[in-house]
Amino acid sequence: MRHLAKLLLVSVALLLAWSPSAVLAQQNLVVQVATEPPGLDLTATPASATAAVVFYNVQEALVKVDRHGKLVPWLAEKWHTSDNKNYTFFLRHGVRFHNGREMKAADVKFVFDRAMNPETKHPAAKQYEAIRDIIVRDDYTITFALKNTNANFLLTMARQGSVIYPREAVDALKSEPIGTGPYKIGEWVRGDRIVLLKNADYYVKGLPRLDRATYRFIPDPNAALAALKAGDVDAAMFGLGPEHIPDLQKDPRFQVIIGETTNDVILSMNNSRKPFTDVRVRRAITYGINKPEVVKGAMFGFGRVLGTNVDPLNPYFVDMSGAMPYDPAKAKKLLAEAGYPNGFETVLKVAPQYYYTVRTGEVIADQLQKVGVKVKIEQIEWGQWLARVWKDADYDLTIIGHAEAWDVGNYANPKYYFRYDSPEFQKLFHESEVTVDDKARRELYVKIQKKLVEDAPVVWLYIHPRIAVTKKGLQGLWKDLPAPVFDLSEVSWVK
Amino acid sequence: MRRYIARRVAAFVATLFFVSALVFVVVRVLPGDPALVIIGPEGSPEAAARLREALGLNRPLLVQYTEWLARAVRGDLGVSLQYDVPVGRLIVSRLPVTGPLTVMAAVLMAATAIPLGLYAARRHRRPGDYLAMIVSQIGIAIPGFWAGLLLILLFSVHLGWVQSGGFAGWSGGLWPGVRSLLLPAIALGFFQMAVLVRATRSSVLDVLREDYVRTARAKGVSELSVLAKHTLRNALIPIVTVAGLQLGQLMAGAIVLESVFALPGLGRLALGAITARDLPVVQGVTLFVASTIVLINFAVDLLYVVLDPRIRYE
Repeated sequence: MRHLAKLLLVSVALLLAWSPSAVLAQQNLVVQVATEPPGLDLTATPASATAAVVFYNVQEALVKVDRHGKLVPWLAEKWHTSDNKNYTFFLRHGVRFHNGREMKAADVKFVFDRAMNPETKHPAAKQYEAIRDIIVRDDYTITFALKNTNANFLLTMARQGSVIYPREAVDALKSEPIGTGPYKIGEWVRGDRIVLLKNADYYVKGLPRLDRATYRFIPDPNAALAALKAGDVDAAMFGLGPEHIPDLQKDPRFQVIIGETTNDVILSMNNSRKPFTDVRVRRAITYGINKPEVVKGAMFGFGRVLGTNVDPLNPYFVDMSGAMPYDPAKAKKLLAEAGYPNGFETVLKVAPQYYYTVRTGEVIADQLQKVGVKVKIEQIEWGQWLARVWKDADYDLTIIGHAEAWDVGNYANPKYYFRYDSPEFQKLFHESEVTVDDKARRELYVKIQKKLVEDAPVVWLYIHPRIAVTKKGLQGLWKDLPAPVFDLSEVSWVK
Repeated sequence: MRRYIARRVAAFVATLFFVSALVFVVVRVLPGDPALVIIGPEGSPEAAARLREALGLNRPLLVQYTEWLARAVRGDLGVSLQYDVPVGRLIVSRLPVTGPLTVMAAVLMAATAIPLGLYAARRHRRPGDYLAMIVSQIGIAIPGFWAGLLLILLFSVHLGWVQSGGFAGWSGGLWPGVRSLLLPAIALGFFQMAVLVRATRSSVLDVLREDYVRTARAKGVSELSVLAKHTLRNALIPIVTVAGLQLGQLMAGAIVLESVFALPGLGRLALGAITARDLPVVQGVTLFVASTIVLINFAVDLLYVVLDPRIRYE
């Protein structure tokens, strides 16, 4: 009987140990991501989970934000403008879509005509309102005529909603998009994984270097960590929290990449609701928060302290992190001046789907208590947060990361959930939108940032760090993320 | 019997109707808007409003429900807002994970709990009984997701015997599929096993005290025969009742464990759909799970007749 039990145990162990994945070579990459894309159509969803798979890898745009945050040629090999209102793009020759057909200027026109058509329901249709006309000069030359000068036009051309795809494949965009990128969609097993396969006809010689990239959806951070440690995934890109890092940094099997992002984590105050209508109260809240301690307490010290909404990867960034330093005495004084000598009670709504919002909220509630502001934390589910806080501005305080780059325009929109309505700021921002001269625009951006600090519509806390952990030997990944993308084109294993 | 079945079928239809109406109202009363979730904070509220219109979410609740119901009775559960795939197809695509996972967990549960419960009853108030009770106490105390993480740590991270998660599929043969469901099935079955051990033990203990057991033993019938023929069969009715209820619990437990083990099953489909306010999917999955549970209970009722010929449904 005992022998039988032993035999049984050994055979179970042997069976379990046998793995077909052991025979796979290393030109393949398995990446853990936390969220499954809600669809793969970049012209229908602005979700970053979709961009992480499709943008840069499967579909490309005319202009690219590179790993240093610079705008560089992509499907357009160059562009030209003499008046900042008419932009002519010269397309690369010999670029083929995954269906084998060559990309021509007519495809580009089709894509933008479709984006501007209200029936398409493009989520960022507003960005294309500046375009007056699109003229195809020849198969490789196309001109965009703008209604007015628009300093962000080239950036718009580099955004995920501006990818170029063949008109005959519009119906496939949602589940099997095709484009010109270094990878094609292999398969999408809903709920489990998306597989990208090498595009052997890619127009850049030598790229891509991987044969196959698999995105596995593992929502639970502990399960993601276990998958990485067990060797089931080669890289965890968007799933690990800062608490996992110190341990992984000591592990010789892994490399840890910590970088900057454009994700500003902010404590928003409802500027249309008392007592936050009073700038003195908003400043008091800012002075009452010890940001370096927040980063230490909520993020294990990872993340750069912020002073305004312009992130460090933006060329016009000015470091304002020291402009309103932690000063509880000043905070109390300002509260007393505003008529709240004994502080007040308020509610902070956070969505636990984003772990950092709850942790950050707990540290802040503790800090504000010391200046007399009693913060009650209310956790609400993401769908509710979107409906109640973001859409209806039914909140006092909330915390969320704003991942978009160049998003300072949100403060110029009085209907945005901050409900910050400053005609002076709006004027400054709109001026910056039509100012193309770099020096003049920079000066405007300095003024914009100073004005924001002065009005304190929100508290800019820290930049959420880019945290990626991979097996040793993986190279070519971006360190910083000037755009919320996951570019796999140059990624490879060290031979 | 025919009338009984007709009554049960009518109750089945009424249950499904009630569940569908309840889910429809609850999901729509919850604050949150599918269009907003799809568009996300990166998009504009105007884009969300256009999408809401396109999805037909602006129409009165009653109109939406009647339309949905009219299609549902013809077997069309609608199209997922998130994936743009028919809900029926989505559910069918998740069954090869959740189905075998639940069955494996149920088999593990029954195969360990019934012998263990029998053993504990047989060794009543002796060390073996206490040990079995301690094991079941631990099973009840440890939540499934925690047991899942511990199993991953031991068998995947430290020993490297099985994958930490994900589903290998059935196309590569039976074993890779079973192997990827093994740990979640153990984690899922362990808690339910603990409950069933207790139910088995107390039911068997009751029967062991019956006169006919004493008579059988007095006649010199072997102990194995006493346990298997005279005791277990008579003790099975409460055990089967508990096990039937637990099958429903297993499906609920799968929701959490599928997330821990990153399995593309029904549970994760439902969870994702609730977060994304993908109403047709929430509705479809709930209906499917409710029908399965009702059917299991029906099967349990029919099983009573097999187990105890004295039971008649008239």
